[in-house]
Amino acid sequence: MLGDVLLITEKHENAAKVILPVILERKVSKMLIAISGESGSGKTELAHVLAKMLRKESIIAKPLHIDNYYRIHPLLRTEWRKKNGIDKSVGFTEYDWDTISKNLDDFRNNRVSTMPCIDLVTEQVDQLTTDFKGVDMLIVDGLYAIKTDGIHIRIFIELTYHETKKAQVVRGKEPQNEYRMQVLEREHQVVQSLRSMADIFVNMEYQVVIPSTKGSRL
Amino acid sequence: MLNDILIINKAHEKAAKTIFDKVMEERKEKYIITITGEVGVGKCEVSHVLGKLLKNEGVMVKIIHMDDYYKIPPGMRTEWRKKHGIRRVGYEEYNWTLINRNLEDFRSNRESELPSVDLMNDQVDKILTNFAQIDLLIINGLYSIKIDSADLKVFIDLTYKDTFDEQKATGKELMDAFRLKVLQREHQVIQTLKSEADFYVDFDENYESLHF
Repeated sequence: MLGDVLLITEKHENAAKVILPVILERKVSKMLIAISGESGSGKTELAHVLAKMLRKESIIAKPLHIDNYYRIHPLLRTEWRKKNGIDKSVGFTEYDWDTISKNLDDFRNNRVSTMPCIDLVTEQVDQLTTDFKGVDMLIVDGLYAIKTDGIHIRIFIELTYHETKKAQVVRGKEPQNEYRMQVLEREHQVVQSLRSMADIFVNMEYQVVIPSTKGSRL
Repeated sequence: MLNDILIINKAHEKAAKTIFDKVMEERKEKYIITITGEVGVGKCEVSHVLGKLLKNEGVMVKIIHMDDYYKIPPGMRTEWRKKHGIRRVGYEEYNWTLINRNLEDFRSNRESELPSVDLMNDQVDKILTNFAQIDLLIINGLYSIKIDSADLKVFIDLTYKDTFDEQKATGKELMDAFRLKVLQREHQVIQTLKSEADFYVDFDENYESLHF
């Protein structure tokens, strides 16, 4: 996203510090890491901090915001959702999964790739062209990011929109009103349904919890 | 630019508001604002806040970062500068052909391909955008004041020693003896361009003063 203002704080850095060794331990070529969480939970911040730390380990990690991949243009989305009903329209199907898959395939195959990129100042959707050659890891962040196929490490941030409400207003990203609250509630339900897919959790206190794998020891 | 960290404070907001008021008075179709100033002074931050203020008034704004237009990509720039000498640091390092082409695209309401440095991996990506809907450009950069055709040329003032601390804080570049030489040289060049501005924003250490 162009023009996104990230508020990176100690809690993001501390969480990333715990997650980093796990990534290094499980490192594979062309690794995909995904971070899911509700609006304002710090997905983009965490992705950013992780990418910076990985760079210090000589690993080139690129953040990929799949909130750039909505099928319906930001300026038309409210109308679309109201028309089709929030319960029916808000959710996984809002993403353009075909383009997401194509771009991830470009990444795996070291190709030059073109992807949507939302300019938050104009709310225009630009096209970003990047060369995935030399990019070792992608950190995919977005509401439903961990639902993407082929992810090696799935991180789930447990904060809900109730906790992050204050942060939302401060960031001024989206207008706060009744309609927006309904959307947040529906997104909340859909995001929470992905919990069981996660490998790593960031809890309400922003501490990292890594459940031991089931049946790994007798 | 991708993956840039902006830390926005009250001074940036005040400066942006002052520029905003002036722009709302004077603006016309396809208006170009340039924001110049030393490294770390807050050009990006002020541009960002200004962009948002204008957007709230229904003005479609695009922000362009001159740092995306260097001929030599970030990963190779220090080596290039060490090889060619410190005197080559300056506005000649920009790809003016590309800058002028993009400005022409803006004025002609065309689709345009802009460079975009990804600060995460120092790669230069490309952004395809449509200038047809864009009313106003905010161009920020060390030497953006050299864009003669700009409608409003803003200069944000702080000495490079003050910005030295800012640089360390933002941590965009590694700070060492050579980097300091580069900053000194960039400072000299910028000071020679200062008089070309229409509008000065002054962050004085003792008191914040904003003046024309």
